[in-house]
Amino acid sequence: MTTYILRRLLLMIPVALLVTIGIFVIIRIAPGDPVRTYAGENPDEATIAAVRTQLGLDQPLPIQYAAWLSRAVQGDLGRSFQTKQRVVEAIAERLPVTFELGAAALLISVTVALVVGVISAVKRNSVIDLVTTSVTLAGVSFPNFYLGLLLILLFAYVVPGHLLPPGGWTPFATDPGDNLRRLILPAITIATASLAVNLRQVRSSLLDVFGQDYVRTARAKGLRERAVVVRHALKNALIPVVTIIGIQVGAIIEGAIITETIFFIPGIGRLAVQAIPSQDYPIVQGVVLVSALSFMLSTLAVDILYAFLDPRISFGGVEA
Amino acid sequence: MSGATLPVVLPARSEGRTHAIRYFLRKNPRMLVGVVLLAILLFVALFAPLIAPYDPIKVVVTDALEPPSIDHLLGTDDLGRDVFSRVLWGSRVSLSVGLISVTIGFLVGVTIGLLAGYLGGTFDLLAMRVIDALLAFPALVLAIAITAALGPQIQNAMIAIGVVAVPGYARLTRGQVLAVRSREYIAAARTVGVPPLRIVLRHIFPNIANSLVVQATLATAFAILAEAALSFLGLGPQPPYPSWGQDINYSQRYLANMKWWMSAGPGIAIFIAVFTFNFLGDALRDALDPRLRRSG
Amino acid sequence: MARTISRAIAVLAALAIVLGACTGTTSGGPSSSAATGAKAAYGGSVTFAMNSDISNMDPMLSGLFVDRHLMYAMYDSLVRVTPKGEIIPWLSALPTVSGDGKSYTFKLRTDVKYHDGTTLDAESVKWNLDRYRLTKESLRLGELAPVDSVTVVDPSTVRVDLKTASAPFLSVLVDRSGMMLSRKTVEAGGADFTRKAFNAGSGPFILTEAVKDDHYAFKKNPDWWGKAANGDKLPYLDQVIIKPITDGDVRLTNVRTGQVQATNAVTGKDVPTVKGDNTLVYQEIAGVGYNSLVPNRAPSFIFNEKRYIQAVDLAMDRAELLAKGPAQGVGVVAYGPYAPSHFAYDPGFKPFEKPDVAAAKKLVADVGKGPLKFELLVSSGDAATLQFAQLLKAQLEKADITMDIKTLLFNEIVTLQQQHKHPGMTLIGWSGRIDPDGNTYDFNYTGRPNNDSAYSNKEVDSLLDQTRTATDAAKRKDLFLKAQQIFVVDDPSRVFYSFNAAQLLTAKAIQGFSVFPDQLPRFETVWVQK
Repeated sequence: MTTYILRRLLLMIPVALLVTIGIFVIIRIAPGDPVRTYAGENPDEATIAAVRTQLGLDQPLPIQYAAWLSRAVQGDLGRSFQTKQRVVEAIAERLPVTFELGAAALLISVTVALVVGVISAVKRNSVIDLVTTSVTLAGVSFPNFYLGLLLILLFAYVVPGHLLPPGGWTPFATDPGDNLRRLILPAITIATASLAVNLRQVRSSLLDVFGQDYVRTARAKGLRERAVVVRHALKNALIPVVTIIGIQVGAIIEGAIITETIFFIPGIGRLAVQAIPSQDYPIVQGVVLVSALSFMLSTLAVDILYAFLDPRISFGGVEA
Repeated sequence: MSGATLPVVLPARSEGRTHAIRYFLRKNPRMLVGVVLLAILLFVALFAPLIAPYDPIKVVVTDALEPPSIDHLLGTDDLGRDVFSRVLWGSRVSLSVGLISVTIGFLVGVTIGLLAGYLGGTFDLLAMRVIDALLAFPALVLAIAITAALGPQIQNAMIAIGVVAVPGYARLTRGQVLAVRSREYIAAARTVGVPPLRIVLRHIFPNIANSLVVQATLATAFAILAEAALSFLGLGPQPPYPSWGQDINYSQRYLANMKWWMSAGPGIAIFIAVFTFNFLGDALRDALDPRLRRSG
Repeated sequence: MARTISRAIAVLAALAIVLGACTGTTSGGPSSSAATGAKAAYGGSVTFAMNSDISNMDPMLSGLFVDRHLMYAMYDSLVRVTPKGEIIPWLSALPTVSGDGKSYTFKLRTDVKYHDGTTLDAESVKWNLDRYRLTKESLRLGELAPVDSVTVVDPSTVRVDLKTASAPFLSVLVDRSGMMLSRKTVEAGGADFTRKAFNAGSGPFILTEAVKDDHYAFKKNPDWWGKAANGDKLPYLDQVIIKPITDGDVRLTNVRTGQVQATNAVTGKDVPTVKGDNTLVYQEIAGVGYNSLVPNRAPSFIFNEKRYIQAVDLAMDRAELLAKGPAQGVGVVAYGPYAPSHFAYDPGFKPFEKPDVAAAKKLVADVGKGPLKFELLVSSGDAATLQFAQLLKAQLEKADITMDIKTLLFNEIVTLQQQHKHPGMTLIGWSGRIDPDGNTYDFNYTGRPNNDSAYSNKEVDSLLDQTRTATDAAKRKDLFLKAQQIFVVDDPSRVFYSFNAAQLLTAKAIQGFSVFPDQLPRFETVWVQK
């Protein structure tokens, strides 16, 4: 087990290198020149050259990367071109916001998926099954930026009393009540997009378990259906659900990008969306590195958890 | 994947295939619904120029912002253009983004997956690290960065969305190849000296085609949504030609003025298209997944 | 950045010169122009929404228009101006100028302390001006280029000597180049100062909290020196919160639901709505910023041929663009760079008042190279810009001119036009300066940094040089108008089409909040009706 975890952690190094080299190159291919937008209103060529040197953009690409990497391994991701804020600090400020938003979305999505998924699997191919799967499928098919806009307008103009604010953020520590009110609409927006995937996973893994011998046996013994589902099937069906939650980390970062933009929440997704078109290289590199690392670590965590839940899985070979 | 015989082997003779399709449609009404929706979408996209009542890019400022009526089924936008006609024409862009980007992702991903799975060794190790890296990228960030790098044009959005889809195909294909290649008939084919490429194309690929079809269908849905999201973030196609994502981005600012029809048209159209592919993908998965069939 | 590529909302908001919170008195200091008669109440809080986030709180490094929303609350500048463009005393009395126009002597207030407790004196002023004009990365180098030296005469007197006389010099000191910061706090802040400028200013409000992309909180500076016209000690408010909200609809929704009590950016399409809402007050005045199309006049590019630009000038319908485009009638039609509030404005200058399709076609035919076809580069993603571009495209089609719209990222357009490599035209708004020089010189003089059209006309260069050395306003106006006739009509550098409007939308209870042509809010005179 320890060997397995170590090997997985080692494998992350080349992947992280590839990711950072990839983003380093891609953002520098973009045709605009960031120096010209950060050099002020009336930049003459001398100012532009001075700013270019100051930002370190006059060096050849491999040297720029080596310089960035050597600082990055010491925990220094540079400073934003635009705001001069330290990238580490910018990310540290925003990560908790995105994390809270993501956790809330995941909670909503998984809870609904479990409840509806069980009903749907028990009553397979019934009208209820068809309706619930179709409705959640509709949810995943709805462009989530459009859903977010409609939710904002719904609570601003249709539902009286301004129950939920049209965006913005209050940290939990400042005002827990306001924090939760501001959390609801964006969390629903993100959750809707992943609901169908989670539901499908719960449903199909339950159906899979229903086919297993021990469930048949339980049924044959005359156990009540509810007992079969809760005591035998659900427990085993949860294993793949854990996997899907791991995969959702990626999906939540995706959801956060759009949702934070619409609801105007100071999270990491919004940071990335603004930094790419404005060519704020250090910010983009930092955000991509951090989100790639969190994705890989959460995948690893899920695999380990998976092993604890299902002793049949061994970590002998390289993962398939 | 269990060793059970797959219900459909694509290179089967055509009468067998038709039979199988008919069997599915009867057995699986969801699939029927999906196929009908898809047919409607394709019809609209192909015949948009004939069905559309107006020129989708014709500016008539005197007709701006009219609510839906008999003359303009979905109203007009702020330049007096007919929203319904734009929605019909927009299907061409959205469907081609969906199909082309999925094709790009499919070809690249499946090729990498087949080679990695079949060749193994160093190639497998290297290719899979690249795939891991792609997977570790937040997909939308990668798509935005690629589109920004290549320029905010529709063909670049297609490439970006295609690249983002590559890891899905590659990992799926590789996993399936690893599962299939140890089977006896493959080993037999090898021993008698059948060239590797032939083994891959004739014996391995058909066996994994089902899963890939499901994956591709769902990926099309994702691609259409991703194009809309890229447009929403300002990386969409060139105006004035209609595209749903671009048009929502363009009209959503009128939502607060209660001029809902401008964005409702393309919004519902995206929804229908994505729903169609998701629904079809789900139905296909149910139909083609042997585990589910067995337990049904 | 005060220069924007017509991201239309941003451009509407973007007006760059500072006009003081003052109504044209020459006695100095702020005064509420909203003489409501009611007795102003102390206390309360106002939340204000701006249309994008700031980049920088250091006036030396700030390149964005929005940055100045915060700066006007927390910093004071040497002088300020009235909405009419008259420069008024602020931290300093109006300077005495030597006969040759090269030496300015500033007499400072003696009752001003920075928020960190240090004293604002002549040493501090010299340190600030030298920092702005001598630091290599400073974005104020251009504005302060005429300065030769800054000398401390006595603790409350500073003399600035110029290399050559410069008529527009004093006007740059009303804004960032004239803002005074505490040396102690700036130096202690180091590289983080740009985002954490706490206690650096001497202004009416003290920055207490700065959360990027979310909000900036200010508390009252109880020791501020300013007084209202009626003798009230300013400011009235206990707290000001400034929030960046980029989406126009979300911004408006926040105002209408009471989350936000004021904003200076209302989209044209929403103006009828807010005018009809009796819980809100909407104010609008003419600004000094203009919007224009920028052709590339460099050799080998299509618009090297001036008749093609004139054809576009003739074919477009400016009134329709303003009324039916994204502005929805908010703003004023423009033919040149001088707005109604500029002293150089000529109301009779209307060279392309009505579209003349036949004349446009004739000009294209005269060139004899077939139909005119060009690309307009627009910043991708902004719906209002796209609406404008598509409307313009439809107008030009009537004169058989084909304009293809090409969307690119903002940075790429900036890069292309600075290097004079954009193939056809770009859309650019200039936030505007109160002195006509700031709307003219750098855009039309051969080789100047903002001359994005690569324009070069010896006669224009000579006229513009004369406007800088002439000191008499009437003489300067005459020279500006002569130049305008050339760079707008005879040999066009740009296609001017509209002036911005300065807007202010407030909740009904908010009082004493005036709108200035630069769009920037002044909170010191604002109070909340109980």
